[in-house]
Amino acid sequence: MSRRSDLLRYVGARLALAPVMLWLIASLVFLLLRVAPGDPIDALLGPRAPEAARTALRHQLGLDLPLLQQYGHFLSDLLHGNLGSSQNSQQPVLEIIRTSLPASLELGAVALLLAAVLGLAVGFSGIARPEGRLDLAGRLFGIGTYALPPFWAAMVVQLIFAVWLGWLPVGGRFPATLLPPGGSGFYLLDSLLAGNVQQLAGSLRHLVLPSATLALLLSGIFTNALRLNLRRALSSDYVEAARSRGLSERRVVLRHALPNALLPVLTITGLTVASLIGGALLIEITYSWPGIAFRLQEAIAQRDYPLVQGIVVVVAALVVTVTVVVDLLVALLDPRIRF
Amino acid sequence: MKAVAALLAPALIAAPLAACQPQRPAAGVIVASRNRVDSLDPAKATRTGQMQVLSALGDPLYAIETDGRITPRLATALPQLSGDGLRARIPLRRDVRFHDGSRFDAAAMVFSLQRFMAIGTLAYQVTGRVAAVRASGPYEIELQLKRPFAPLPRLLSAIFLTPVSPSAYRQDARRPSNRPFVGTGPYRIRFFSDQQQQLTPWTGYWGPKPANSGISLVTLSNSTALFGALRSGEVDVLLSSSLEIDHQQALHRDARAGRLREAVGPAMEIGFLSLLSDQPPLQDQRLRRAVAYSLDRRTISERVSLGLRPPLRELLPPSLPGSLPTAWPDYDPARARALYRQAGYCNGRRLTLPLSFRSDIPSDRIFALTWQAQLKRDLGDCATLEVSGIESTTAYAQLDKGVFPMIQLEWVGDYPDAENYLTPLLECTKARGEHCLEGGSALSGSFWSASGLQDELERSSTIDGPARLELLRRIQERTAAASPYLPIWLVAPVAWSRPAIGTPRFDGSGRVVLSELRGGQR
Repeated sequence: MSRRSDLLRYVGARLALAPVMLWLIASLVFLLLRVAPGDPIDALLGPRAPEAARTALRHQLGLDLPLLQQYGHFLSDLLHGNLGSSQNSQQPVLEIIRTSLPASLELGAVALLLAAVLGLAVGFSGIARPEGRLDLAGRLFGIGTYALPPFWAAMVVQLIFAVWLGWLPVGGRFPATLLPPGGSGFYLLDSLLAGNVQQLAGSLRHLVLPSATLALLLSGIFTNALRLNLRRALSSDYVEAARSRGLSERRVVLRHALPNALLPVLTITGLTVASLIGGALLIEITYSWPGIAFRLQEAIAQRDYPLVQGIVVVVAALVVTVTVVVDLLVALLDPRIRF
Repeated sequence: MKAVAALLAPALIAAPLAACQPQRPAAGVIVASRNRVDSLDPAKATRTGQMQVLSALGDPLYAIETDGRITPRLATALPQLSGDGLRARIPLRRDVRFHDGSRFDAAAMVFSLQRFMAIGTLAYQVTGRVAAVRASGPYEIELQLKRPFAPLPRLLSAIFLTPVSPSAYRQDARRPSNRPFVGTGPYRIRFFSDQQQQLTPWTGYWGPKPANSGISLVTLSNSTALFGALRSGEVDVLLSSSLEIDHQQALHRDARAGRLREAVGPAMEIGFLSLLSDQPPLQDQRLRRAVAYSLDRRTISERVSLGLRPPLRELLPPSLPGSLPTAWPDYDPARARALYRQAGYCNGRRLTLPLSFRSDIPSDRIFALTWQAQLKRDLGDCATLEVSGIESTTAYAQLDKGVFPMIQLEWVGDYPDAENYLTPLLECTKARGEHCLEGGSALSGSFWSASGLQDELERSSTIDGPARLELLRRIQERTAAASPYLPIWLVAPVAWSRPAIGTPRFDGSGRVVLSELRGGQR
């Protein structure tokens, strides 16, 4: 009972702090954007538009108001769930996020799944003979994929499979001549629900290269984490005790060592998910994947204040939520955790 | 291990299955470019990509043909000017319908122009010249001009002035719209996102029917992807002047070998250096002239762009009336040395010239480094370049603060006329001697002006014919003599296509005529 109440208190505190954290992040982004050099008017009109046109546009966008007043409007809109409209496209920021966030999440989810499968399989494969050839290869794989520069790896994969072999598309999220499935914005899910095989195949083909590249880059983390934790678990007292009770090695590994070794992997997965919510920028750029990181990068370059603020706030909220959920999961699965 | 195999199986099966799908679906022509299209509202159109799509979805009043001729499009004749040149009457076509079926007439054109003047991002291009617009008949409009304006048909050829259907835009008459575009062009929009647009032929189009069954425009974010997409046959046409030079050269080779078709459009983009002419060291005109003689454009163009960006020695694209191709001096190290000497350099004293380039534009960086090396080789005892990069948006915000002694920039006119190149760079509404305090010259970072220049600039847009051309040339000569700017090169739009599509054709505004690309059901 005591542990449960501790856990509830912890979750309550985290949730109560979340709005404060979001307010801090939102305020920081608001301020940093205004302090940073560059002017949205230049990005929209170019540097040589007449002063009258610049003044008119500045007024139209509300950028001529005192900073405090702009901040007040921003906070008030934020409290009402209004993130404003993009200065460039006039599209509501929420609408832009609604289309680009699922793209990043879909890519991140598939990549994470592939990375976990590949990474854990490689990490697990060397366990039968520690320091053997397979174990050494797994170690090299773990270090190598972790150290690969994402941009370079993505370019190489793109060149080989899309440009030279022509097996898969070079970029984008959907075939140019098909209409994307409507619905949630998760194309795989939407086309599956619609039962449209052509859309599903189109989405899959575009997803293969970016997700496989991202999975390859992430898999090393899983390989190393599992390998190290499994070795530590296998030399622990409770495993020795299990062996001394005459249990088979397979049972010792699968029932006793592996579940304990996977707990830290869960924490790592949580951190990786949190980082993927913000998108995998270099992968998105290389594969022209219309995700949230790509949008954010462009919005920053164009000094599109509402769009940058909106994306950062939404991503921050999701990251906070995911970290709380992961903490909860770890606490539920590991009775040793105390708060 | 079985568990692992079971987990791996779907992934191992899914990838080859996906790879085995037909390489591309069948329909229309796929056109790739680097340009993202945020909005299809002409009132918000400022970028090349938007203009390209809008040129297929809408029609301007006039069009500039490949040979530079101005031809009526939605108008039926060139503007009929009143005696004082302050009223222009434009007769309109009677057989045009919008994509929503409503009729195009004078009221629709007036609605569109007034909407643009009220909320257009580039509204200043119109409101600076046009005081009012009204329907003078069911199919005739009248523009009341603030002063006589000779390049009016060229201004009205701008695609951002394409009419929109009043019935579709009634609610958005005074605010930007992010709804699908409803205009009069040969295509209507089928699907729109910032990275992908699908256009389908508009059956009620008044002009020639498109030669293809539709156009799909896709945005790919990097040069390798664009290059690879055309090479692998994933797209049919590639529009890009921002492709990496190696890729451009490889495609050029493919075109020469007959594997691709290549088309070069009229160059509308000029690259130039802006010299801060009201502060030391470049306030000394001799030094600005010396720098002008120090720039070996031919070598730099060859090294940086493999000759794909031809050297430019004037502030206008040569295709525009009023061009003076040799206004600025050619590379002459001997004359440069003499001028540096006159200014007290070379004899054991070396001039350090800070050159800023935009760090997010790869060709700018290569230019800066190449020129630095060329100067060191040829005039190393007289001058040296100190190069530094700065992100474009940051640079633009600081241009009018006078912080860059020398900065590399580029300019593309919003419509193809000399006025739209010279005025933004040379206009000066408030000056003290040769020091410009307010106006385009200050905004461009040169702060240079000359006595009577502003009057000449204004007069150049009010007169027409040979007198105008003569005046435009004189303005360029005066500017070249003072060298507050140094033209570097021209950037021409290039398009490549698969042979089956035919060779793309550019119009006189530098846009590919998408309706002429051949392609249908495959």
